[in-house]
Amino acid sequence: MMRDMLSQLLVEAAAADDRFIVLSGDHGYALFDSLRDGHGSQFVNVGVAEQNMIGVAAGLAKVGFRPCVYGLAAFVPIRVLEQIKLDLCHAKAPVILLGDGAGLVYSTLGVSHQCGEDVACLRPLPAIAIYSPCDKFELQACWAEARRADHPCYIRIGKADRPPVHDAAITDTEPHWTNQRDVHNHDRLIVATGSMTSISTAIARTHGVPCLSVSRIKPLPPSLVLAVQSHRQTIVVEEHARAGGLFSALAEELASAESPSGRPHLAHLGLSTQFTFTAGSHEHALSEHRLDDAAVNRSLTAWITASPGQMS
Amino acid sequence: MTRSNRLFLGIVIEVPSRLTAGSHVMTPQCYRPGPVFDPKDLRRHILRMAFHGQSVHVACAFSLVEICSVLYSQFLRFDPMNAVSPGRDFLILSKGHGVMALYACFREIGWLKDSDLDTYFRNGTHLRGLCEADVPGCEVTSGSLGHGLPIAAGIAFGLRRLGSDRRVYCIVGDGEMNEGPMWEAFLFAAHQKLDNLTVIVDANRYQAMGRTEEVLGLEPLPAKIEAFGFATKECDGHDPEALTRCLSDLREIGSRPGALVARTTKGQGVSFMADDNRWHYTRLTEHDYLRAVKELS
Repeated sequence: MMRDMLSQLLVEAAAADDRFIVLSGDHGYALFDSLRDGHGSQFVNVGVAEQNMIGVAAGLAKVGFRPCVYGLAAFVPIRVLEQIKLDLCHAKAPVILLGDGAGLVYSTLGVSHQCGEDVACLRPLPAIAIYSPCDKFELQACWAEARRADHPCYIRIGKADRPPVHDAAITDTEPHWTNQRDVHNHDRLIVATGSMTSISTAIARTHGVPCLSVSRIKPLPPSLVLAVQSHRQTIVVEEHARAGGLFSALAEELASAESPSGRPHLAHLGLSTQFTFTAGSHEHALSEHRLDDAAVNRSLTAWITASPGQMS
Repeated sequence: MTRSNRLFLGIVIEVPSRLTAGSHVMTPQCYRPGPVFDPKDLRRHILRMAFHGQSVHVACAFSLVEICSVLYSQFLRFDPMNAVSPGRDFLILSKGHGVMALYACFREIGWLKDSDLDTYFRNGTHLRGLCEADVPGCEVTSGSLGHGLPIAAGIAFGLRRLGSDRRVYCIVGDGEMNEGPMWEAFLFAAHQKLDNLTVIVDANRYQAMGRTEEVLGLEPLPAKIEAFGFATKECDGHDPEALTRCLSDLREIGSRPGALVARTTKGQGVSFMADDNRWHYTRLTEHDYLRAVKELS
């Protein structure tokens, strides 16, 4: 199960790397038993103080540690979004955030512990990668990539006590087929992530429809966009709100891609996913995102006057 | 060199206010005192930045000039040739609104030049109106209040785990103490017994919209911080000798983090700015700039 794999990965990381340290905001009771037994000094319960926890992780990273911050997704990242933005993303701190119980896992506890907006909150932030593994094998691959990263990473963990979807270990975070595509049928495609992959795969198999499991949501794999473009209809299944989740990420890519007429159905002229590099006037800040008056004039004029096929 | 050798209480150090590059390159193995900055020089640098950049927050920087001066001249180990030297002590400005005081110190140390100060607030500069970590020496991005102290606590926690004797100083504002994460960080630092951390409250009695006591009462602040488990001192934050004495005492206490409530005056140093919260927001006219510079000459 995914939860057992997570426990194992934490222990392995602690054994392999003195700089690895796990911080928890008084959550994850049994999950850390093995870690505490074998590497107790590398587990720190910082108390029910999540904002401080992110700052402490940022400070630890600044002096060479590789912190992993554990919390329920309702609190990490939602409660500490600004700390993630400034203390981790702006500093490009190599901190792994584990958001457990994402979605409606804590169904009986109520709204306070439920979280359907975590991916949406993090996607606009520069520097952070977002993972949403569906089983222990995808978790292993996401974890390995996050451990190698030189920037913050968020791993969204939904219902963690379900059996694997995949048959064997996975070595990358690209989308993986959980039901093989029919080479003669490019009609329908199911795209699923996280906790919705298991049920989506089962139904896909029943009906002979291809199904792709997406474990990395940011950066969105280009191969996913290509797969969706090669099918006539796609449905995205996720335990997350429509706004800002995997559906939203895909919709943005597809809308911006060239349509059969040669131009995007919906183009975007707005802020890039980056912090400003320098200070100055508002117009100067906009210019870093090519959104100053002159740049908007150039872009809009080109958009208005371009003939089909000239502009993407 | 032992820690006690680093004390130079009451010693007047004859060093020109303008530091000659390389005159006292320090590593933790080779520690010598830093230069003494003349607070008037620092305030003139701040005025120059604020006037030429047409920026605000002059008074926020003025209140912590002596604090920064004392820290750099007597407590922080740093390399004047390299603001991010591996063995340096950390100064975290949690109260990012006072960043011009840091820039002024960096100018005296040599990390910034006059020509850098003249870019303040201009297009393309890294010298922003609040503290950002991409300026060497600034360490963290602050200005959104309540961020610097938790990071400082994390650094101190990490350094202690590494067995390092490097120290962390964190300047916070009294208005900033409205923020919840500050008290979370106090709990954490005390629980972890981070005796390598010293928090200095620039208690200038004002926050953006008015008197701290009228907006959200903090007092008795030293008693509150003491109750959180810190060794706590209180002094006149514009008296270098008092600051030096208190910070030295706090450094030697051990087993507990230290906190100094430095009673300061917002806008200190220029008569028409002192204790006048308009200078949180007001931009300098040429007339006021020249009048202020004259007072500091």
